[in-house]
Amino acid sequence: MAEKKENNDISKLSFEQAIKKLTDIVGKIEDGQISLEQSLTQYEQGMELIKHCRGILQKAEKKIEEISKEKEK
Amino acid sequence: MENSLFEQPKSRVFTVSQITSLIKTSLENSLPGRVTITGEISGFKRHSSGHCYFDLKDENAVLPCVMWGSDFVKLKFKPENGLAIVGKGHIDVYVPAGKYQFYIDSMMPQGCGALQLAFEQMKKRLEAEGLFRDEHKKPLPKFPFRIGILTSKSGAALSDIVDSIYNRWPVAKLLFYDVPVQGEGAAEKIAAAIKDVNRKNAVLKLDVIIVGRGGGSMEDLWAFNEEIVARAIFASEIPVISAVGHEVDWTIADFVADARASTPTKAGMIAVPDIKEVLQQIDSAGKRIGQDTESILKLSAQRLKTILAAAVFRSPALIVRNREQFLDELENNLPQKAGRLLSAVKLQIETLAAKLIACSPKSVLNRGYSIAKNAITGKVVTSAADVSIGDLMITELANENVIESKVIKK
Repeated sequence: MAEKKENNDISKLSFEQAIKKLTDIVGKIEDGQISLEQSLTQYEQGMELIKHCRGILQKAEKKIEEISKEKEK
Repeated sequence: MENSLFEQPKSRVFTVSQITSLIKTSLENSLPGRVTITGEISGFKRHSSGHCYFDLKDENAVLPCVMWGSDFVKLKFKPENGLAIVGKGHIDVYVPAGKYQFYIDSMMPQGCGALQLAFEQMKKRLEAEGLFRDEHKKPLPKFPFRIGILTSKSGAALSDIVDSIYNRWPVAKLLFYDVPVQGEGAAEKIAAAIKDVNRKNAVLKLDVIIVGRGGGSMEDLWAFNEEIVARAIFASEIPVISAVGHEVDWTIADFVADARASTPTKAGMIAVPDIKEVLQQIDSAGKRIGQDTESILKLSAQRLKTILAAAVFRSPALIVRNREQFLDELENNLPQKAGRLLSAVKLQIETLAAKLIACSPKSVLNRGYSIAKNAITGKVVTSAADVSIGDLMITELANENVIESKVIKK
């Protein structure tokens, strides 16, 4: 349940949070200190995170917005 | 002209005002209207009116000086005792005090430019106040997605900054704030812009601000040396990167900012990561996760194989049969074992019963004792008072024998 929730939440993570999580997962798996089942969940999560990060990096708009002209909010 | 004072008739008596007026006229006539004087400042005082009073001195002489507040505020640097300056103005007699004074309307520090000195003074002051300390530096965001750029629309710095960011990190949204970066009021406007974006950051969501401009003379860059800009940068909640002038130009803003880009074209290097490197990192993370998970799988499979290779798994029926045999043996042995157990228990019970019987009060009857009871009340008679003459008594003997008798005497 908790794992599922985490997976759903991945899309809401900021890029920095996602990268951090991804690094953690790589570390955990590389340590080899996790069970087979855990490693499979972590693998799935890692792949989700990678998809999420790549998705963010594909949105290159190169847009410049002028804010000095904005009216008081 | 000097002699004119002494050419007056000896008999003439002057009032103080008259002679002072004469001295004033004499000075005015004999000295050039404007003089440039160099000397060292001493006894510097700024009156609450804003006017400044001090002396200029050298080894042998002292000259009282005045600088009006309106002239003083135009100075970039701060005159202080011991500072050698070159002052411009005129000399006049201050009649009420009977002294001549140097009325200074502009001054320059001697040896270096006024701006250079002002810069040094400001740097020293803010440094002493702790504004440049590392502990106040905010960490820059690793992956900024919303970057504020505060510079002039007309300067080259804007496109330099934009290009340097987009070359490395095309995914950021750049939010541009147009401010004048030189001239009268520029410092105030830069400071106001920094405050403004901080105030609106709940909406703007800037991860970092770049404040800067292209190269120019020290005078051109001066706004970035002004205290008001330094304070605004210091107070900014959003991390600030300064990007002012050329490589060699250091401004106060550079010292206060959380990070310094040596030029606007280097802003991207400081502010953003290289997207290629980030993508590589992500790819390598993916590879590592894949490889490691695969090796975990392989290892697990290997372990399973080893376990399955054990004898038990080669002929699983054997283990079942072994158990069955054990059960059979148990079953066969059971009656024999149970019988042995039962006779042991029986023996124990008999021994216990014999002990119990020996303890019974009735066992004394076997030894010739008897128990006398009142036949009516059934109570054991232990005293003559327990019976009356004529009462029937029951006497219990060994082997459940009972006799009845009558009390005839007591």
